[in-house]
Amino acid sequence: MSTIQQSTRRDFLKTASAAALVPYFYTASARASADRPPPSDRIVMGGIGIGNMGRGDQGAFLGRKDVQYVAVCDVREEFRNHAKAQVDGRYNNKDCQAYNDFRELLARPDIDAVHIATPDHWHAIMVIEACRAGKDVYCQKPETLTLREGPLMVAAARRYGRVVSGGSQRVLEDYRKQVDPVWAGELGKLKSINVSVGPLPQLCNLPAEDMTEKIDWDLWLGPAPWAPYNSKRCSGSFSINGASWRSFIDYSGGGMTDWGAHHFGGATFIADVREQQPVEVKFHQDNGQTYLSYHYPNGFVLYHNRPNTPNLALEGSSEEVAPKPVPGYQGEGGIYGDFIHCVKTREKPFRDIELAVNTAAVAHLGNIAYTLQRSLKWDSAKQEFVGDADANRLTDRARREPWAI
Amino acid sequence: MPLDDAFQALKTYDWGTDRAPVTPITEAVAAAQSNAEARQDLESRLLAALSSDISRDAKDFVCRMLTIVGSTAAISALAALLPDEQLSHMARYALERITGPEASQALRDALPKLAGKLKLGAIGSLGVRRDSASVSALANLLKDADPAVARAAAQALGLIGTPAAAHALLQAQPAAPLQAAVTDATLACAEAILAANDPATALKIYQTLAADTQPRLVRLAATRGQLACAARTA
Repeated sequence: MSTIQQSTRRDFLKTASAAALVPYFYTASARASADRPPPSDRIVMGGIGIGNMGRGDQGAFLGRKDVQYVAVCDVREEFRNHAKAQVDGRYNNKDCQAYNDFRELLARPDIDAVHIATPDHWHAIMVIEACRAGKDVYCQKPETLTLREGPLMVAAARRYGRVVSGGSQRVLEDYRKQVDPVWAGELGKLKSINVSVGPLPQLCNLPAEDMTEKIDWDLWLGPAPWAPYNSKRCSGSFSINGASWRSFIDYSGGGMTDWGAHHFGGATFIADVREQQPVEVKFHQDNGQTYLSYHYPNGFVLYHNRPNTPNLALEGSSEEVAPKPVPGYQGEGGIYGDFIHCVKTREKPFRDIELAVNTAAVAHLGNIAYTLQRSLKWDSAKQEFVGDADANRLTDRARREPWAI
Repeated sequence: MPLDDAFQALKTYDWGTDRAPVTPITEAVAAAQSNAEARQDLESRLLAALSSDISRDAKDFVCRMLTIVGSTAAISALAALLPDEQLSHMARYALERITGPEASQALRDALPKLAGKLKLGAIGSLGVRRDSASVSALANLLKDADPAVARAAAQALGLIGTPAAAHALLQAQPAAPLQAAVTDATLACAEAILAANDPATALKIYQTLAADTQPRLVRLAATRGQLACAARTA
């Protein structure tokens, strides 16, 4: 596949003369106004995967005065056209370009940043290609489909100095009531949290259907195994029980990653272990019920589906801990504002890709432990299971040609 | 025997059929780690199914199972599918995850027999396997007339990440459209070499990529790399 690499538009703006630049992107909608920054201070953005979550992300970025939204990409014609109409309506022009192939959007030197909300099997390829093209990236959760993808995404972001944010707004916004007392030391040293989420992804052998929508099916499948078109297979609905791609192992880690990105993300934030990965996942069976315990280097235990334990139940201790300040978003506008702020300042966002990858890894480790029905030791530095060759085979999967990472 | 029934069900398994009848195979594969005899038996049955007249979806399912229980015994059957337009990917799906040099050898041997996308797939799998024995073969493909093949070879060399892979990339004289892929792979090699605690070699690579002739994005990456090397040697 193509590799795109170039200087960014903002790099260009800093070095080229303003007079030479004006004809390139100066449009009626791009003029400075009393309530908008001048074009040179706006972040020029495009969106890839504009159905469902992507539509929401697009709306959030499009509504910002410090963003100039110029391009949309989706393999579905209907989504593509709708997204273009949204942008054109916002700026009262016809300037937004619509693409079927994300590589064409990434090849545009005028775009500073992209948001990605495709199905999960595309995330790693697109994030890495965007970094190579010098773009900053806001990627929807779950950021990875396999364990191997995470470090490659982090490496690409760091290699090119890109700001790459993961996408769960819930990590900070839904769990603050638990975060604040724990970080204030009110529960003592935290011993454990339980997360109840699921189910695991399933194989998909839905039958072939007549294609009733205009969709580039080969590009929708991308690196995933070939399969016939079926509307449920590629539905972007939030079902994790067989009625959307979120249910199926070729495109998603199932409920474990889809909601796990929120709940595991919140739990590891509460416990302040976002920068780590577990060293062991223990598989338990209790009266016919299976559950997991993840063990962190500092002794913290993250349970998954612990019997008779509510979701996000905290277990504190009498061991005193010093209070510490709680990190949060920077800039204005929630997680989107945090990303834009960091694009401008080159700081790491709240959901920096490395932290997002660590959260996704919890879910993937769990899926593998449940699949193999046994406990696993995990060497996060080497990104491999200790003494379990079969488990190591499940850390990644071959991508359908021509795609590779 | 549920497992016998499951293999019987595999004969009619296809897109749109019930998955439940083949589930005992999935369960047996997951449980096979501690039982070498059961594992070998499962692999034999799966290979027999793979060579039989079953649906494409059923063969996909078999390859998924061989991802876990496939051994050197499965390699020749999987390698034989690499030139198959429909089954090449799922053959690699299993082959890519089978440990040991034999699977890499099979992928390497297939390269001259493959073209187009299927060749890109095999190259990609050698990269994922970080097969250092493939550096020479991949270096030759950097000069391939098909730019997609040359690009894939560069990416695979970057994943292999050894000094020999870096040397091959630095010696390449890619056409302009390939330059970015070769540079990215070379940077990836430098990162891997630094991670392997050889900052002196990594530094030389970064210095080469810091030249004024490189795009700004690359020069900044090379500068960050040089700083990382300096931090390691300080």
